[in-house]
Amino acid sequence: MPTNKVNIPNYRLLGKNYTTPDMVAKVTGKSKYAEDFRAEGMLFCKLLLSPLPHGRVKRIDASAALAMPGVKAILTADELPPPAPFITDDGVMIPADPRAERGLTNEPLYQGEPVLAVAAVDELTAAEAIEKIQIDWERLPFAVDPMVTLKPGGPNARTDGNVWVVPPPAPPKPGEKPAGPPLPQVQDFKWTDAEYAEFKQGKLPMSKPSMEWSYGDIEAGFKKADLVVDEAFVTPNTSHQCMETRTAMAYWQNGKVFVHCSTQSTAQTVPAIARWLSIDQTNVVVISEYTGGGFGSKVTSGISLTIPVLLSKKVNAPVMMRVSREEEHYIGRARPGFHGRMKAGFTKDGRLVALDMFVVTDGGPYGPQGDANSSGRIVSLCYTPENMRWRGVNVITNTPPRGAQSQPGGAQGVMIMEPVMNKAANKLGLDQVAIRRINAPAGKAGIGGAIKGKRDHVTSAFVQEALDKGAELFRWNERKSQVKKSGTKARGIGVAVSAYSAGSIGFDGLFVIKPDGKIYIQSGVGNLGTESMIDSHRVVAEVLGVPWEQCVVTWGNTAKHLPWTCPSGGSQTIHAMTRAAHATAMDAKQKLQEIAAMDLGGTPADYEVGGGRVFRKGGGAGLTFAQAAQRAIKLGGKYDGHEVPETVSRMTKASVTGLAGQGLLAAAKDKYKRDGITNSYVAGFAEVEVDLETGEYRIVDYVGVADVGTVIHPRAFGGQMFGRTSLGWGHALAQKWVYDQHYGAPLAKRFYNSKPPTILDVPVNNFKWAAVDIPDPETPVGARGIGEPPVGAGASAVLNALVDALGENIFRRAPVTLDIILTALETGKPGDDPLTAHI
Amino acid sequence: MAVIRDVMPAFELFQPATTDDALALLAKYGSDAWVLAGGLDSFDWLKDRIKRPKVVVDMSQASGLRGIKEMNGGLEIGAMTTLTEVVRHPLVKEHFSLLAEGAELAASPQIRNQGTIGGNVSQDTRCWYYRSGWKCYRAGGNICFADTPTAINREHAILDADRCVAVNPSDSAPALIALDAQMVIRGPGGERVVNAQDYFVGPDINIMRMTVLKPNELLTAIRIPGTWGGAKFYFEKIRDRQVWDFPLVNIAAAMKVSGGKIEQIRMAVNGVAARPLRLTAVESAVIGKPADAATGEMAGKIAIQGAVALRFNAYKIPLMRNLVKRAIGGVQEAAWKS
Amino acid sequence: MEIIEFARSPWGQDVPIHISFTLIWVCGIAGLAFLIGHAIYVKFMAKPEEFEATLPEAAAKVPAKIARHSLASRLFHWIMAAAMFALLFTAFLPKVGFPFAWVTYHWIAGLVLTASILFHLIHANFFLDPWAIWPDKTDIEDAKRRLLRARGEAAPAPRKFAKYPLENKMYHCIIVLTGLSVTLTGFFMMFRVSTPFFTRNPYLFGDMTWGWMYVLHGLAGVGLIALIMAHVYFAIRPEKFAMTKSMVFGSIDREHFLEHHDPKRWVVTESSK
Repeated sequence: MPTNKVNIPNYRLLGKNYTTPDMVAKVTGKSKYAEDFRAEGMLFCKLLLSPLPHGRVKRIDASAALAMPGVKAILTADELPPPAPFITDDGVMIPADPRAERGLTNEPLYQGEPVLAVAAVDELTAAEAIEKIQIDWERLPFAVDPMVTLKPGGPNARTDGNVWVVPPPAPPKPGEKPAGPPLPQVQDFKWTDAEYAEFKQGKLPMSKPSMEWSYGDIEAGFKKADLVVDEAFVTPNTSHQCMETRTAMAYWQNGKVFVHCSTQSTAQTVPAIARWLSIDQTNVVVISEYTGGGFGSKVTSGISLTIPVLLSKKVNAPVMMRVSREEEHYIGRARPGFHGRMKAGFTKDGRLVALDMFVVTDGGPYGPQGDANSSGRIVSLCYTPENMRWRGVNVITNTPPRGAQSQPGGAQGVMIMEPVMNKAANKLGLDQVAIRRINAPAGKAGIGGAIKGKRDHVTSAFVQEALDKGAELFRWNERKSQVKKSGTKARGIGVAVSAYSAGSIGFDGLFVIKPDGKIYIQSGVGNLGTESMIDSHRVVAEVLGVPWEQCVVTWGNTAKHLPWTCPSGGSQTIHAMTRAAHATAMDAKQKLQEIAAMDLGGTPADYEVGGGRVFRKGGGAGLTFAQAAQRAIKLGGKYDGHEVPETVSRMTKASVTGLAGQGLLAAAKDKYKRDGITNSYVAGFAEVEVDLETGEYRIVDYVGVADVGTVIHPRAFGGQMFGRTSLGWGHALAQKWVYDQHYGAPLAKRFYNSKPPTILDVPVNNFKWAAVDIPDPETPVGARGIGEPPVGAGASAVLNALVDALGENIFRRAPVTLDIILTALETGKPGDDPLTAHI
Repeated sequence: MAVIRDVMPAFELFQPATTDDALALLAKYGSDAWVLAGGLDSFDWLKDRIKRPKVVVDMSQASGLRGIKEMNGGLEIGAMTTLTEVVRHPLVKEHFSLLAEGAELAASPQIRNQGTIGGNVSQDTRCWYYRSGWKCYRAGGNICFADTPTAINREHAILDADRCVAVNPSDSAPALIALDAQMVIRGPGGERVVNAQDYFVGPDINIMRMTVLKPNELLTAIRIPGTWGGAKFYFEKIRDRQVWDFPLVNIAAAMKVSGGKIEQIRMAVNGVAARPLRLTAVESAVIGKPADAATGEMAGKIAIQGAVALRFNAYKIPLMRNLVKRAIGGVQEAAWKS
Repeated sequence: MEIIEFARSPWGQDVPIHISFTLIWVCGIAGLAFLIGHAIYVKFMAKPEEFEATLPEAAAKVPAKIARHSLASRLFHWIMAAAMFALLFTAFLPKVGFPFAWVTYHWIAGLVLTASILFHLIHANFFLDPWAIWPDKTDIEDAKRRLLRARGEAAPAPRKFAKYPLENKMYHCIIVLTGLSVTLTGFFMMFRVSTPFFTRNPYLFGDMTWGWMYVLHGLAGVGLIALIMAHVYFAIRPEKFAMTKSMVFGSIDREHFLEHHDPKRWVVTESSK
């Protein structure tokens, strides 16, 4: 994408393109994913999935299966460790949740939930064995549509209810660590008859919520409003559909379990597995050098990996569980669909003065998901309503478990709010960019509800700049006046803004400068395709002033002494790990200066680091890194890792010990200050062209401008912009779940049915991205993550462009497929079912 | 007994060198045998363990079934010719571009490299209930899951449904019907030739099959007569995604226009019924009329007579109407460059 | 041989879906075997049956022609027969290798059959003697006597029949059972297909209920193949032909009456037409 540039000054490496060390293996097919591994005597396992959307196992007869030659063992839910409480590294106690998802279950809560697994010499035998197993079932009531379970007398997805309720956290006792989050509870919740009557009219009832927050005075806000818009919108459930399914292979050696898996986060997967198995994390080794996509569905891989792990223990042999596309549909996670309703009050000049936001989320059986709350927080940030109330009902359904998906909750919030912004601008006669600019967050903008009158705020926001830059690149003003309809075609343009969390803090970095003069960087980041597992470490080379070629990065295997690292979810990595890298580089710099001062006289402050050397300021005596590394080994103690820094976490300490004595060892925790919550922003601009006789439409042009602080690696950044925008487009174009409500069974399980966008559905040659290139002031190199906000911007800019082309009375949900458009054009009414889920 | 999907079970694989050998295998194994062409339809069934043949007869090695040759001013296309070969063949492109267009819109480039023209016309329906392995009429059961008060049937039939509401998903089939193609079938009793439009069968006649091909028969070739060579063609496929998607509705038309008037015409649509439908009523109504938008409007209205919508597929009626209209009157392009 | 075909429901449950269609052949062959067997039995083995003699004074009162089936009854019978044949052919021809679009004809014939049955119920119950077709005590006693005598044992001679011979009555019973099974199930099965009468709703019942309904419909259907074969066979047997004629012309003659019927049990009056 040659038109795309970033312009961050004064860096030697940051903001420059380079080839990451995993690239050649990936493009030549040499990279090894979980299912490419083999171990001596390895068995394969297959899963028996529940045929029922909700049921209970009464009896399992596996005798015929176990009698087959080649069948080694069966694993049932009874053999899984029970949910156990655990203590986080920060000492917070997380209580055991009896409702939490496990690898296998005796009470499946969705069709396709794994019930048992069979290990055999090969997959064919295992599959045949599965077919020989007889299970007697008790059928239980089920609901796959959140609207159905909320009706008076509607069925409940769980035996004890249909809605999640999270009690408020207990106030911390003086002198004690804060208690962990309280366990979510389940409630039986139904609409009143009056609310049901409203539903039958096609309106989402704003019923009693199960969660809510607010700030300001919403009533006063509405009083101030000149225009009130009341709109409902339904967003789709979308599977993550990673190219690599969550395959896992495991074996045990000397009390340690080695797990080859597909995960977004290498280091963080260790404690997750330890928690699922109730074993100590020092007994877990995770190997995952390459991951074929995650998008939030594999933040710490998936609990399904416990199946081969436990089978392997049971049969004392390595066990591989290759997850099929069919199985991935069930256990591979999905974004929860939303039914949302917005009542928004605007002043004449377009300022959003009151917003009453109500969402119903389709959360699947396990949860609750954070999407509901995030949707409100992101809307409060993106459109800065002066007064706002957010309410939500977190509904439990008998559909596959949801998980975070790129911009979880934020994308849905944006998709529900954007039609409101669009409509308000049209009603008030305002320009679409202008109304978003008026309401755009700037500086330390507020986010979320008020607690004791005080709201959280973000580190920085430059959304107006993004809108301005985007409008210019898109030629918004020029295109605004273009002809909309000609022949059988209509075209329209749309803009949308979007935001999401983009960074965490407090993680560790670790590297060794060895006597060969090279810097051996340990990366605990997962290789999920974003390249942040390498990119974030460019900061080390930048700070130490060495050529990148002098750095060697080790990643993907926790036996290789990796530091405690953030989970690669919520696009926190580039922020968190550039901070950690910076802190560690500063640690190395300090140690280099100290060694130089020891050897060459003077104080550490007399020395500076650069060009692979530490040398006296203004020129003169110095040491090469190679020499310094040798000196560090001789010195021992903190210099070569024999003395472990107190501040770093438990995993990093063990890794420091493992690497001690090999050179100058740098290890540090990110303790930089940060004022605010880190968020990134995108302004998206789309043009669509619609065929009025077929309802088909194409995205013909797109511009995405990101406010993400310093762009570390433009090519990877562009990849994220294009990839995540495409993910968002999928929500607008065609991607969805389809359920048969009579049987509670999914119908769109394969790609050709669930219809994620392909490369030919997106404007690959007319996609432009740019960044506002203003570093975030609250982090050392100014970088924030990019993987989230393009989604909502992508989806909503396209939907808004459709409204521009066709008018407002066309659709009330996404995706907007051609049947909806054609029906609306034929009938003059919206062409979609307003509220039924999964159609 | 539990169900497991997406793991292909074992079967005995035969790769006969000749059609005769293949027919002998079909005769020997009867209903235990499964004919494999490109495998794009077959492998789904096999992987999902819904169809469980003991024997798979892979036609890829059989001689004489692959390739395109000139024949009496027309073409004979071997049934095992890949869609890519059909699309790229100079004679197809030059004289029968209608077929090239239809075939090129099928599936994805990778699938077209593997999928055959014989397989494309003979493929089974993609009804997602049937493909889920649910025992519907088409699978020998006693119900249509796709036409119930709660069924999701956006992709299903608006015409000629009889109990089953599945549709034929082939993109090459309507093109072949519009070109008056003939299907060459070989069976134990020798060769028979049927017209393309008669090759397909609806649920009223045989609810368990898509074509007249008997289990012991093979489609060996498709013959396209010279009749429509160089005629005015129109092909359009409407789908949700621009690649790797079956048609919601597609249309193929061949027209001979003289002095602005339609002299001869063939038109077929697919995706609206369990078999591709030749629109004979439209054909006879437009003969002698100008090939313009007004005739198209009229033809569109005739085309959709008798169409019955299910809960989610009413849009197919105006869609089919508009496609018929465009096939005759053309598309009114926008003034801007898109 | 399987009698019922089972299928896996979308919930993985094994539910019956219909009878095994080989039962079509089984019933056809069984029907054929029965009538060949019966013909051989009657021709070569059966002893002529003796009945109690009719008292001359009673016989004297019998007119030359005795009305047996009213016009309405005859119309009903033949309409029902036509519907029944249409149903059997539309049901089974496609299953044995003659495919055609049968469903609409089948349910239309089914409606005709149902209507004719409803008519018959009303007509027989309110305008005819409804009890005439059901076996009475004498029929049972006589059946025992006939059985004993057929086996060569001593038993008093059975009495002659009332309006309908016992075999007729038994056949009617079986037809009532199969006919009601097939029409009732058939009526509900119309919800499974598209008809102009109501919204198609294949989920009117659960999978299991539907399954057994299809099985019952099928069993009754194939049963009817054999029953109708037997019925036609008896209709054309020479000794029963008078009765067949009566189904066309309405009456039997005095000779036939006196040979088979007991005027005490079938009191012929002018009003008994």
